[in-house]
Amino acid sequence: MPANWSYVIAAYGIAAVALFGYWRHLARRARALAARPRAAKARAA
Amino acid sequence: MSYARRAWIVFHKDLLVERRSKEQTNALLFFCLLLLFLFQFALGPDRDRLAAALPGLLWLGFILAGLLGLGRSFLAERENDCWEGLRLTPGDKSAIYLGKLAGNCVLMTAVEIVLVVLFGVFYNVDLWTPAAPLALVLALGTIGLAAVGTLFAAMTTQVRARELLFPVLLLPVQVPLLLATVSATQALLLGQPLADVAHWLKLLAGADAVYVTIGLLTFEFVLEG
Amino acid sequence: MTRALGWLAALGLLAGLAAGFGYAPREAVQGNVQRIMYLHVPSVLTAYLAFGLVLLGSIAYLATRRPGWDRLAGSAAEIGVLFTGVTIVSGSIWGKPTWGTWWTWDARLTSTAVLFCVYVGYLMLRGLIDDPEARGRYAAVVGILGAVNIPIVHFSVKWWRALHQPSTILGPEPSPIDPAIGLALFVNWVAFTLLFAYFLSRRIEIARLEEQT
Repeated sequence: MPANWSYVIAAYGIAAVALFGYWRHLARRARALAARPRAAKARAA
Repeated sequence: MSYARRAWIVFHKDLLVERRSKEQTNALLFFCLLLLFLFQFALGPDRDRLAAALPGLLWLGFILAGLLGLGRSFLAERENDCWEGLRLTPGDKSAIYLGKLAGNCVLMTAVEIVLVVLFGVFYNVDLWTPAAPLALVLALGTIGLAAVGTLFAAMTTQVRARELLFPVLLLPVQVPLLLATVSATQALLLGQPLADVAHWLKLLAGADAVYVTIGLLTFEFVLEG
Repeated sequence: MTRALGWLAALGLLAGLAAGFGYAPREAVQGNVQRIMYLHVPSVLTAYLAFGLVLLGSIAYLATRRPGWDRLAGSAAEIGVLFTGVTIVSGSIWGKPTWGTWWTWDARLTSTAVLFCVYVGYLMLRGLIDDPEARGRYAAVVGILGAVNIPIVHFSVKWWRALHQPSTILGPEPSPIDPAIGLALFVNWVAFTLLFAYFLSRRIEIARLEEQT
């Protein structure tokens, strides 16, 4: 059975990018809302 | 005015409008004819390939016609400013849903009969022998499609990009119905008895019950505003 | 509170990685690829948790009309879609060396893909309605229908697969016999749940702030 580490790394890597990316997305939105409480448009998803 | 009467009025009104103008039904039926060509050309001249794909194509045709026909369920009310009238109806609003559902079932049934006949004629398939059990599968599939379609049509009538959102919402929910109806139709067309597809029929019946119930319970929330 | 959750989640994820790669043994049949399960299984469990919360929030919103429930539903759906995506991608990557293809229409992958589509549609609906009250109502209806549909999808796909693939294929589930694998799974599942709770807490807060403007 080959080591297949590349697949494992790919899977974990993509997951890490997705989850970390979402975390950063949340952080950015929170910062924007805190900085401009009145100007932020009500496009709450 | 009783619940049943209110549902009947909605149903009757839709049928009358259609019978007098015939615009929607004719366009849908012509669409079915066009689908026939589409499928034939997409699959090529190989008779066997078409025959093998037939159950799927039949239901694909229903769904495509359903997307067109059902999405417009409430368009007449919306365009003619009757939406407020619907909203202000006293009593249980789910009667309206039931009436609309009945109308849509009749419409879809008409479409399906036409498709079945066209398929039988143009693709040279024997759909007469398994007609009775096939009709049962058709009926169950229609109710499921119309139940969710009517509910989502009411919803998307008010939303931007409604022509795009309606299929996007409807199709994923239709997946189990599609799997069930195509599998059952395939078995029936191969000559298997109805008993063999009993589990599919049960799934369809169960799903239909769930969808109609949710439609009845939540329609009033869709109708507000 | 949220911050504490965040740190706990981070710790949990580290522990999960350690358990998955350090503690758990290399699986006999599938080799190292099986370790993807420590990512895939907790992801799908978290997604189901998320969509369960969407159902809860949807029903509660229709019943009480309190915006907090709608915020819960919308936030949970967004994060649920994220974890469903991770589930599908990790499942697909696991499938390539195991079954030879990037995608098979096996029961679990298909069901998960349908689930993904249902809630992407839900998010699209939310995105297209500006009025928060109408958005909450409509989304709740779709949320309820989507959630109730899950078992229906599960059975239909399972029976459909039985037609096409009578032989059972190694499902992406590790054998429950090895307790080390079980423990690693458990640790990762806890970590993912903590991460979900952290994301949810932040996302709800963002929704609340947005509605105030």
